Amino acid sequence: MTWRIVLGALTLVAASSQACLAADPRYPDWPCAQAKVPEISLPAVWAGPPLDDVQSKWKDDSKVTALVTKTAARRMPLDEAEKEIRQFLASSNNDKVMAGKLLFAGLFDTLNAERSTVMNGLERVMRKQREAADRVRADTIALQALQSETSPDQQKVDELSNQLLWETRIFEDRRRVVKFVCEVPTAIDQRLFALGRAIQQEIE
Amino acid sequence: MWRHCLLPGLAVWLAAAAPAHAYIAYVSNEKGNTVSVIDTDSWTVTNTIKVGQRPRGIEFTRDGKFVMVAVGDDDTIQMIDTKTHEIADTLPSGPDPELFTQDTTGKILYVANENDNTVTIIDIAKRARLGDIQVGVEPEGMTMSPDDKILINTSETTNMAHFIDTTKREIVANVLVDSRPRFAQFKPDGSELWVSSEIGGTVSIIDPVKHAVTGKIEFSIPGLRREAIQPVGIGITKDGKTAFIALGPANRIAVVDAATHTVTKYLLVGQRVWHMAFTPDEKYLLTTNGVSNDVSVIDVASQKVIKTIQVGELPWGITITPQ
Repeated sequence: MTWRIVLGALTLVAASSQACLAADPRYPDWPCAQAKVPEISLPAVWAGPPLDDVQSKWKDDSKVTALVTKTAARRMPLDEAEKEIRQFLASSNNDKVMAGKLLFAGLFDTLNAERSTVMNGLERVMRKQREAADRVRADTIALQALQSETSPDQQKVDELSNQLLWETRIFEDRRRVVKFVCEVPTAIDQRLFALGRAIQQEIE
Repeated sequence: MWRHCLLPGLAVWLAAAAPAHAYIAYVSNEKGNTVSVIDTDSWTVTNTIKVGQRPRGIEFTRDGKFVMVAVGDDDTIQMIDTKTHEIADTLPSGPDPELFTQDTTGKILYVANENDNTVTIIDIAKRARLGDIQVGVEPEGMTMSPDDKILINTSETTNMAHFIDTTKREIVANVLVDSRPRFAQFKPDGSELWVSSEIGGTVSIIDPVKHAVTGKIEFSIPGLRREAIQPVGIGITKDGKTAFIALGPANRIAVVDAATHTVTKYLLVGQRVWHMAFTPDEKYLLTTNGVSNDVSVIDVASQKVIKTIQVGELPWGITITPQ
C-alpha cells in the first residue's frame, strides 16, 4: 500500500514538472494550454463609434449598470442577454447610439476585470501547485528514507503515508479544476464579442 | 390581350415569391469533428454531420453530388453524399491532409499533406491515388490556375509559393513570400496570384508569368497590434474587381479594391475569422469564425454583415452548392 502511494506521488510529481513548464516564457506562472492574452483589446471586439467620450460614465446610469451586471453574468444564456440588450436599445429612442456606447463601455470594463481576476487566480493556483509538488517530492523522499531503515517506525510510516496520500489528492483535484477554469477567459472573450456585436448591429 | 399581360405579371410575381438564394453551405468544425449544413434561404443550420477527426479543408465535387472534407487526424478525405448526408466514401490522401483543390473538370484532386511535405494527386471518380509531388515543409495553401496548367502550393515553414506544372507534375518555379503563407488564390482572369501570409501580415501579389512579387497588400487597424492581424482566407469576385481577406484574430474581413490593391473597408465579423465562400450568385459571402463558433453572412453589394449563424466547435472551412 505504502509503495503504491510513493509510486503514485512520484508519477504525479514527474507529470506536474512537465505541466509546470510554461509555454510562453513571459508568463512563467500561466498554467493553461491556451495562450495568455493579458487584456482584451478594444478594437478586437468593437468597430462601433469611438468610446472616448463615455469612459466610466456608464457607472452613473443606473439602468445601464443594472443591465451590465445582468448581461455580463455567464449564468444568463447568451441569446437571452442579446434579447435584453435589443429591448433596452429599442426603448432608448432618443439617443440609442449613446445608450449603446455606455452599455458596451460597461460590459468591456466589467468583463475585462472579471477576466483578469480569473487569470490572476489561475496563476496563484499555479504557484501553489508548485509548492505542493515540492512538498510531495520532499515527503516522498522522507518516506522512502523511513522505509529503508532496518527497523522502520511503522507509526511514522503510516502518518507520513497518510499525509502524502492527502497531498497528492489535493494536488490532483486542483489540477482538474485548473483545466476547467482555463476555459473561462475564452468564454468571457466570446461573450464580450457577441454582446458587443449585438449592440453594434442595433445602433448601426 | 389580358392573358398576355397577366402571364408575364404572374411570372414576375412567382419569381419574386420564390426564394432568391436557396443554396446549401457546408462548414467543417475542426474541434467538434462535425460538418454543419446551412440553408442560405432560412440562414439556419439544418443538419450536423459527424465526420472524422479534425476536419478542415472542405469542397463540393463539381457535380454537386459529394462534399469532400479533409479529416487530418484520420489521414484521409471523406466524401459526404449530399442527398443522404452520410459518409459514402473516402479518398486516399497522404498523412494529415489539410487543404485541397481540384481541376476545372472536377476529375483530379490535389491534396496538401501537412505532415510529409507532399502533394497527393487523386483521381476523384476512381478514388485512386495517381502519385505524389515533393514540396516544401508543411504544405498548406492550394489553388489551380484558371487554365488548369499550373497548380500552386504554399508551404508554411519554407515560406514559398511553389508553381507546379500539372502535366509534368513537377515544380517549375518557387516564389518567396512573407512568413507562414496560408492561402493562395488566382484572380479569375489568371493575371495575378494572391498569397496570404499569416505571420507576415500581408498578401503578396505575384505575377504568374514572371514568377515575381509585384506588390503587397498591408493592413492597419487603429489600436490593434500588428501581430493580431493575420491574413488567411481570400475571396475574389468573378469580375475581379473586389476582394475580401480574412484577418484571423483581428476578427475582421478587409474589403480590397482588387485593381489598386488598396483596402477600402474593414468589416467586424466573428472571432478568428478564417475562410470564406461566396454564394454562386455572389450576393452573399459567408465566413467561418473559429473562436466565436459562428458563420457571418456578408451582403456583398452593400458590404455589410447581415447575419450570424451559430455552428459547431471551431469552424474552419466552408463550401457552398456549386449551382
